[in-house]
Amino acid sequence: MPVIELSHISKRFGKFVAVNDLSFSVEQGEFFGFIGPNGAGKSTTMNMMLNFIKRNGGEISLLGKSVPQHDLDVKKRIGYVPSDVRFYPQLRVQDLIRYTLDFHHMEGDQAEIDRYCELFQIDRKKKFGDLSLGNKKKVALVCALIHHPELIIMDEPTNGLDPLMHARLFRVLKDKQEQGATIFLSSHNLKEVEDYCSKVAFIRSGQLVGVEDLSQVNKKMKIVTLKGSKLPFDKMKAIGATCIKKEEQEARFLYEGGLAQLFSTLSNLSTDLEDVTVANRDLEEQFMSMYECQEGERL
Amino acid sequence: MTLFRLECKTHIKTLLTWIVVVGVLTLGLVSLFPAMKDMGLQQMDLKSMPKDMLKAFNLSDMAALATIKGYFGYEYQYVMIATGIFAAMLGTNALAREEAEGTIGYLYAQPITRLSIVGSKMLANSLLYTLYWAVSMAIAFLGCILFKESGASVHELFKSFAQLAFSGWVMGLTFLVFGFLISAFLSTNKSATSLSLGIVFLTFILGVVGKMNDDFQALVFFSPVDTALPSTVFKNGIEWKYIVTDLIVIIVSCLLTFWSYKRKDLKV
Repeated sequence: MPVIELSHISKRFGKFVAVNDLSFSVEQGEFFGFIGPNGAGKSTTMNMMLNFIKRNGGEISLLGKSVPQHDLDVKKRIGYVPSDVRFYPQLRVQDLIRYTLDFHHMEGDQAEIDRYCELFQIDRKKKFGDLSLGNKKKVALVCALIHHPELIIMDEPTNGLDPLMHARLFRVLKDKQEQGATIFLSSHNLKEVEDYCSKVAFIRSGQLVGVEDLSQVNKKMKIVTLKGSKLPFDKMKAIGATCIKKEEQEARFLYEGGLAQLFSTLSNLSTDLEDVTVANRDLEEQFMSMYECQEGERL
Repeated sequence: MTLFRLECKTHIKTLLTWIVVVGVLTLGLVSLFPAMKDMGLQQMDLKSMPKDMLKAFNLSDMAALATIKGYFGYEYQYVMIATGIFAAMLGTNALAREEAEGTIGYLYAQPITRLSIVGSKMLANSLLYTLYWAVSMAIAFLGCILFKESGASVHELFKSFAQLAFSGWVMGLTFLVFGFLISAFLSTNKSATSLSLGIVFLTFILGVVGKMNDDFQALVFFSPVDTALPSTVFKNGIEWKYIVTDLIVIIVSCLLTFWSYKRKDLKV
């Protein structure tokens, strides 16, 4: 059963279409990445999922229940980390944690709270307003985890975190995933999405570009970069390589065929080329090619 | 209940500040009564002033200024205006500030419905206002007992203050709930203070115009401050036609607030 199911959702702000006919689903236990350039509609989509804003069309189902009809039941089982953490500045961290548990009608496991606070090095006596950006983020993470959510929705959770805390956060999230929780991660840090997510949805101009299984796709796809004065476009096309970027003395090709055929072709072309690079297609490259394509469309 | 506690905790300092300031001001004004009476305040000749204007500023009966009720009734009308502003500010800030400061993101990620958000905030702010008003009235009553003229009946004074406490409480709740309705449509609280001032002064002026000109007497219905002024209440008692009008405004504003907030796109 999908934990998140978005079906043809749309959102307009006046004449501007922020999200248009967006559909995808996330299965239980998945570590799901949600990426797209600025203004692509990621936050709007999450805001609709959390019922912060009303959608203009489509259906949203979280944890098997339609939203907003079962908003309260669903939110009891969700942990949310916003991109811009703005909690009550006058409250101490320990009070914020207490209030979060009270909202969930939970006593809370003191040992677990102590463990999180120690792990993320949080000073519970400090007022929230006195914390740095990174420490605010850590408090938001603890507040999103202490009620044992089945679905954790995070918008740029590592923004402001140092590398040590970054690693600790993902260790906690992996533990949560192993315990059966589903993690929905929106991030601009493509490296962390690539390292931890099993699936990723690409969104552009409010529309879904695709959902890809990172464990499958990127290992098969190769990016071949050729440099030289005489670039062999025809021969690369003949082996099924698609040119994705073309400059004066450099070209990049996307290749999905056998490596033997690729290296044999490159070997025959070696005299015409100055440099050859073959690499796995990483998420950043995939993202950049989509982004550049979007810019091209705008121009 | 959690949000109710959170809201009370958030505003407790504001509440104490208002109570202290209004309490000190009230005691200061009332403590001047014996000296003012001895100076012959009630004998001041204001005959050259237009009668309507004296009526508008509750100075038509100068002889009443020789009694603590009359003196308090005149002086305390300005505190009543301040009370209306305090109540309106509690309302206009209640929902809009959450969006302006971004705390609504935290709140709405918790398992709490929008109706509960509005309901808890309304209850908490009503309680805060009630506390403010109860303490202010208690201080005012004690001040009047301390500085009353000889021969003034404490029982009579208590009865008048009980009526004033009720009328003023309804007046404040009217501004508070109407402020909530405005707050439900705002996405920032930048204009909350100016809107609160505007609502209270506009309705006060409507009451003044209503009193000055009989053709516009109906305007008094739109003036919660005017109908709850101590001089009016001490003279006419509780005027139920105005109380019912306030209650209708409270109920309609309340329902419209719930209705509009449920449909609102929250700015996060």
